[in-house]
Amino acid sequence: MSGLSPLTTALDSKGKQAAALVVFVGLLCLLAAPYAPWLVAWPSVLTVPMSEWISQGLGAFFDLIKPAMRWVSWVLGFGMAAANWLLVSTPWVVVIGMTTAVGWYLGGLKMAALGFFGLLFVLASGYWVESMNTLALVFVSVPLALLLGTAIGILAYEVARVKKAVEAVLDLMQTIPTFAYLTPLLLLFGFGPVVGLIASAIYAAPPMARNVLLGLERVESEIKEAAVMSGGTRAQQLFLVELPSAMTQIMVGVNQSLMAALSMVIIAAVIGGFNDIGWEVLLTMRKAQFGQSFLAGLVIVVFAIVIDRMSGALAQERRRYSTRVVWWIIVASLVAAVVLRDILPDAGTLSYFGGVADAVDQSVGDFTRVYGTTLDTVKNTAMFYVLLPLRIGLDDAVLPFTWGFQWTAAMSAWVYAIGVTLAAVLAWQGRLTLGLCLLLLIGVIETGVTQLPWIFVLVGVGALGWVSSGWRLSVLCVGLLGLILISGLWDRALLSLYLSGAAVFTCAVLGGALGLWAAVSRTAWAVIHPVCDMLQTIPLFVFLIPMLMFFQIGEFSAFLAIIAYAIVPMIRYTRHGLVTTPEDMIEAATSSGATNWQIMREVRAPYAAPTILLGLNQTILYAFAMLVIAALIGTTGLGQSIYIALGRADVGLGITAGAAMAILALVADRLVQGFAEERRKALGL
Amino acid sequence: MTGTGGPDAPAIAVDGLWQVFGDGARPALSELLKPGAATTDGVARRLKEQGLIPAVQDASFTVKEGELFVIMGLSGSGKSTLIRCMSRLVEPTSGSVLMAGEDILAASKRRMIELRRDKLGMVFQHFGLFPHMSVVDNVAFPIKMKGVGLKERRARAMEVIELVGLGGREDAYPRELSGGQRQRVGIARSLAVNPDVWFLDEPFSALDPLIRRQLQDEFLNIQATLRKSIVFITHDIGEALKLADRIAIMRDGVIVQIGTPSEIVLNPVDDYVREFSRDIPKGRHMTLEALMEPVDVAPDRGGPELRTAMTLDDALSACALTFEPMAVRDGEGRVVGLLHPEALARAVGEAQST
Repeated sequence: MSGLSPLTTALDSKGKQAAALVVFVGLLCLLAAPYAPWLVAWPSVLTVPMSEWISQGLGAFFDLIKPAMRWVSWVLGFGMAAANWLLVSTPWVVVIGMTTAVGWYLGGLKMAALGFFGLLFVLASGYWVESMNTLALVFVSVPLALLLGTAIGILAYEVARVKKAVEAVLDLMQTIPTFAYLTPLLLLFGFGPVVGLIASAIYAAPPMARNVLLGLERVESEIKEAAVMSGGTRAQQLFLVELPSAMTQIMVGVNQSLMAALSMVIIAAVIGGFNDIGWEVLLTMRKAQFGQSFLAGLVIVVFAIVIDRMSGALAQERRRYSTRVVWWIIVASLVAAVVLRDILPDAGTLSYFGGVADAVDQSVGDFTRVYGTTLDTVKNTAMFYVLLPLRIGLDDAVLPFTWGFQWTAAMSAWVYAIGVTLAAVLAWQGRLTLGLCLLLLIGVIETGVTQLPWIFVLVGVGALGWVSSGWRLSVLCVGLLGLILISGLWDRALLSLYLSGAAVFTCAVLGGALGLWAAVSRTAWAVIHPVCDMLQTIPLFVFLIPMLMFFQIGEFSAFLAIIAYAIVPMIRYTRHGLVTTPEDMIEAATSSGATNWQIMREVRAPYAAPTILLGLNQTILYAFAMLVIAALIGTTGLGQSIYIALGRADVGLGITAGAAMAILALVADRLVQGFAEERRKALGL
Repeated sequence: MTGTGGPDAPAIAVDGLWQVFGDGARPALSELLKPGAATTDGVARRLKEQGLIPAVQDASFTVKEGELFVIMGLSGSGKSTLIRCMSRLVEPTSGSVLMAGEDILAASKRRMIELRRDKLGMVFQHFGLFPHMSVVDNVAFPIKMKGVGLKERRARAMEVIELVGLGGREDAYPRELSGGQRQRVGIARSLAVNPDVWFLDEPFSALDPLIRRQLQDEFLNIQATLRKSIVFITHDIGEALKLADRIAIMRDGVIVQIGTPSEIVLNPVDDYVREFSRDIPKGRHMTLEALMEPVDVAPDRGGPELRTAMTLDDALSACALTFEPMAVRDGEGRVVGLLHPEALARAVGEAQST
């Protein structure tokens, strides 16, 4: 561009240059599309059959290690059977007593009550046996995950050379969708609960590893030096001083690990359950028995909350509760189990909420009958006017059936003309970047995300990467996306991108607004806070149930489920960023005569920008995670591919689709992190 | 000076110690240190040109048996790095550190562990207490490392806990203690194995002024009985002058002057050192030895007995006690009041120290 001097003076910033380049490429694609269709759709001749290659390669490798793995599976099967037997055959009075006792030890009366009533609810729901089966899986997989995670964390901490590599792998493991873990494991270990066990052990290890590493790194250097100067060997320093000093952080890891394991154990039901609670949800969902599936979902939520709050208490400074009470509770429950063994009913026979489930079914049925048209209108409005145009573009989405009229080429021309005029006005006002971005947005809506020319997408992402952090990121993003392109999963990737993009955008707007509201109003936060806590504790799977109840299977339900799950970080981070502005900055603004809203706009918001961007980043990762689960209720895209691969035990497709999903998440993650980093630097943080 | 105790063999001898941070520091430094090469300044400049950071440059000094040796400097002057080189918490790039004749930089890992278990103790600025251990477990930790049984190490730990005045608090956890108490634990722990060499890295800097003075005094008391060979780091010239037998002043990684407190105050080698001692009341640190006219015989006129080690302040008030109050007159020569010279001397001292 160096030759065109007026151009270079107009495009004096990275943002303007990048936007101009993308607009230029977009224009080119628009004009050339009719003559060169390969610009829009990647020619199938050039597609590399990666899935097949991976299937063959891994197949051979798997055949080699299968005997060993089957043996591992056999051994783990024993552990699981033992845990299962223990939990199921222990009288429920004792299990409840133990839980209550642990609750007391960790958090006094409040926690004991949570454990007691939580488990009582599970008992009364009639899902006691199923719940204990699920719990047995968690109890076997979590120790494995903790051991594995601790070992990885210590390794990364001790051997500086592997730290970078380990962190990269942990990053990757976090972005690979949960389902994608299952296919290769299925091939290795065969159908059965052990696959779920191993999957959850693998899935739950990274958070532990991360927190162990973080905790060890955060131990004060003087504490480490004091251990050295006391004459400890390296092992003594590590195990007697550094690990215990890092215990609070490590307990955060235990908490996260437990939650991850629980979530995975439930998800693993899709490969065929064995009378566990996740299977129960799936089964009832498939039979459209929403009352039952809602009840089973509630049981999972109760479990999640009990496990989360109790293990979360480990990571907090807490006062010590008397162990005498603990023993009393345990002894009392043992005595009760022995004395009342003939009176107490068998856990399997209890079911007090069958009526409730039926009532829920009934009322949901009534509700949808009465308000069915309203619900349909909501759904159709969102689909026809927002999601569909975004997906396939105005020119295809606007039909007599949807909007009441047929889109014509003239209308497209008008839309573009208005866009160009607006952009020109903005440029004239000196906001060229904004104008160009507006033009791009119009182009995308007119064409539809899934029909965007591949070259336009690559250039666009490359340009974003360049603006966000530089050439290296730009090359990385384009390279990774290029892999998806040649693998033949491009169309599906764009579908995923469209749905998660729409959900993330909604989350950003809605979550940002809620976060702002929570930041200015204490009352609002008092309401939003527990809801956020709750939403974050619920295993992904359960989000699908209410959506299905009201909106049936389809993209819209998936869209809502993603929003419900992914909105939480956006709310939290927005509020956190806004309320943690340093007090002296606010005082300075107040003494300059700023009103509350001026302070919010001029001081708090800019200061919170990096934090809010991090929230957006989390929201994106959450959305991708949920996208795959949502494949269960009918989305197209990569999630569906992964799900199909699971059903067919097609390891090649499973891995490529999983990797493609991970790539999308990784690219989005890096881009947003880049912008956040830039803002942080600009603020000198 | 410490005077009588022990032979003059140094407890610690540091020679030509360099600590250079950055990739490839070692070969770069050994290249530059070849015989006949540049001065310390020249070497440091070349290192910086290569993007390396010479945190300690060619440090050489000795610490005598039982001496309290203070290293003073501003933050970033390399004093903390220097003490970490001597205790080998960081690996020095070049040079030698002899302790009782043994070059500890050449010691094996095993030997280093032994040395730390028997001969070295260290106190840290932010205490470095183990948060998950009670006071007594913290203090007993170095003894535990030696493999001493529970009963015996608790007994020894209790001795040092009594020594630092924490008796009765042995079952408390660090988070339940005040800053001053925490540092007492730190001191007790560093003394638990009865080390020969005692490193203290700004031990009192994180404390309130009142507590700081109290701990300094107690520290001097402990040292008076234990007589360890001490390397003490501080950024506070007042603390250095109060505690030290000798002081080394560091600037930008270089030791610019080593001397007794009065040498530092009276004969600063450059403006940097002078700047430190500027606000120090000379009367408090300057001794008569530096001020008197050296003669063999002096006429005896009675009055107070003066000693060479007396500070100017002490001498002034000693002399003043013998004088009669004197008349103060106004402009026309009339007597308007009496001035006690003692009050004058005190006032002078106060004016200087504020």
